[in-house]
Amino acid sequence: MSQPKRLLIIDDDPDFVAGIKSILVKAKYEVDVAYNPKDGFQALKDKAYDLLLLDVMMGRGAEGIMVARKLGKDPNLRNMPVLIITGIREQMAFLFPGQAVHPHFVSVDELVEKPVEPKLLLDRVQALLIKSAEARKTNSK
Amino acid sequence: MKTYAYFPGCSLEKMAQSYHLSALETTRVLGVELKELEDWNCCGATAYFHVDELLAYTLSARNLAMAEKEKLNLVAPCSGCYKNMYFTREHLLRDPDLAEHINDALAEDNLRFSGSANVQHLLEVFVHEVGLKEIRAKVTNPLKGLRVAPYYGCQILRPRKDHEDIEQPRYFEELVGALGAEPVDYPLRLRCCGGALILTNRVAALSMVRNLLESAVKAGAAVVATACPLCQVNLECYQKQVNKEFGTEFYLPIMYFTQLIGLALGIPPKRLGIGSEFVAVMPAIAEARDADPVPTGK
Amino acid sequence: MNAAPPLEKDVVPDPTPPENGLSFVEEIHNLLHASVGNPISSCIQCGTCAATCPVASGGFMEHTPRRIIALIRAGFKEQVLKANTFWYCASCYQCTVRCPRGIDIAELMYGLKRYTVWKTQYQKGLIGPVFSETFVKMILRTGRSYEPILATTYIFTFGLPEMIQEAQNGTALMLKGRLPLLPPRIKRLENFKRMIRRIIPLGDSE
Ligand code: SF4
Ligand code: SF4
Repeated sequence: MSQPKRLLIIDDDPDFVAGIKSILVKAKYEVDVAYNPKDGFQALKDKAYDLLLLDVMMGRGAEGIMVARKLGKDPNLRNMPVLIITGIREQMAFLFPGQAVHPHFVSVDELVEKPVEPKLLLDRVQALLIKSAEARKTNSK
Repeated sequence: MKTYAYFPGCSLEKMAQSYHLSALETTRVLGVELKELEDWNCCGATAYFHVDELLAYTLSARNLAMAEKEKLNLVAPCSGCYKNMYFTREHLLRDPDLAEHINDALAEDNLRFSGSANVQHLLEVFVHEVGLKEIRAKVTNPLKGLRVAPYYGCQILRPRKDHEDIEQPRYFEELVGALGAEPVDYPLRLRCCGGALILTNRVAALSMVRNLLESAVKAGAAVVATACPLCQVNLECYQKQVNKEFGTEFYLPIMYFTQLIGLALGIPPKRLGIGSEFVAVMPAIAEARDADPVPTGK
Repeated sequence: MNAAPPLEKDVVPDPTPPENGLSFVEEIHNLLHASVGNPISSCIQCGTCAATCPVASGGFMEHTPRRIIALIRAGFKEQVLKANTFWYCASCYQCTVRCPRGIDIAELMYGLKRYTVWKTQYQKGLIGPVFSETFVKMILRTGRSYEPILATTYIFTFGLPEMIQEAQNGTALMLKGRLPLLPPRIKRLENFKRMIRRIIPLGDSE
């Protein structure tokens, strides 16, 4: 097997992180964690990652949206796929009860809602990694 | 004539209309124009910070950006609005990522924040921009003998905005003095009135209101002067409930500082919104005048 | 359930090791990662905040601000989140301006409010969270706040005798012409709503 893929999780919920990290590590991914957006940006500066798993409600508020938008503008990081994993519907239930979260106002590659099934998580991660590898191939051609 | 973008805030629309009226009347006499910010939105009060600070900054930034478009500095009569907009500007200037994120949102309303408009409280405009000398010169009906307890409250002072003295401020006292009235010193002049706790923790807020009233009354105040609608409502409209809760008998008029200025400038009480209060203001004013009549034939 | 929290004056026990690898104080540091104040780990437990707080010194908080910090550092997560302290904070900033270590305690209180709202872990029966949520919802709909909606929600949600007081006060204000009869709204409301959604991408249906 080739080099294990490197994933970064930016999420402030240690219980949730512990859960998905163990799933991903079992599936032979190399996983780093940042528990706040500031550390997250530092990690992205220090190392190259193949995929980012990003939470929304952190720190001051919906900072995940801020992170995603900033990455979208960064020429070095723009091509890294971003998978948003959010509990926002539950966290802000009083604001939009029963509605699905629409990623319309922020461009991310995928959005799944917490709690996330292990199989769904692994499927999405793999699909995004394949998609970005293909995109890179066509780009380099 | 100096012009400001004026942000009345939600409570001045109705609840604190007398503040609104008296602010407009007095500034007009003193050569300041308060130009109401068009289509302003709520500053988010404190509730937004309980849910999402980025959202709170966005709300304030929209108002700031609209003032910038007018090329005017922003003035707020409410201490809460003032604090929110002041610090939103500070945070956005310090954190370019935050500013860019919020500007992306403001673009939906064709606006952009750059930080060019600064934020002042209405009280500061009177004290620092108009100046006490100018105010003193325009006083026609000095409020002689009226013992006024200037009430700063919290957010005009705190958190500290710049390098000003937040432990021993004197400017409110000096303003009261410039009107010919007598500022009274009382220990709780910088203490919190309970703010929004009046809705979320009634007992705590009522006891904070009681402490304040007691402190002012003990010092011999005939009226309290405030510079914030929330303070005014807490101290005045809930006096009856304080009396009920604690068996006290407070009947202390709580006026906006602009109403006091207006009276000293000789503006008729009605035009200053006097008359819609629960604790009548004019008897206290009349009493002071009777006890210490202004010499006639000036 | 964790053990009982320490008493007001006693020494704070060693932090309980967290199962997920992140201590509660670290979690709070993450929550406040953008705060301009110093981290709460620099607190020296001097008690200035508790003494200066008008709500705590009135005896209305279950734990003083000082003690909340002690509990956070000792890892008593459940006790902290269930406390009324931060919901009873009036945001007067007295503690923040007086703290000798430059900790922004009022911001910590906001942070704890957010944290518990997101996780709906706040103490049951508190008015604060419901009030905040109603307020935010209202402004997202109209751009302005409108007192009668607040008062009504409040009465329907709680229906306690003290809320009846609120209604009486509301009626009295109406009679004095100090409450508006119709909710105000801003003009460019559509732009406003789109602006909000760029910050929180809420669902599309209106
Ligand atoms: S005032 Fe500051 S240092 Fe002192 S106990 Fe409070 S938070 Fe800690
Ligand atoms: S800001 Fe909150 S915790 Fe601090 S002194 Fe004021 S009421 Fe107390």
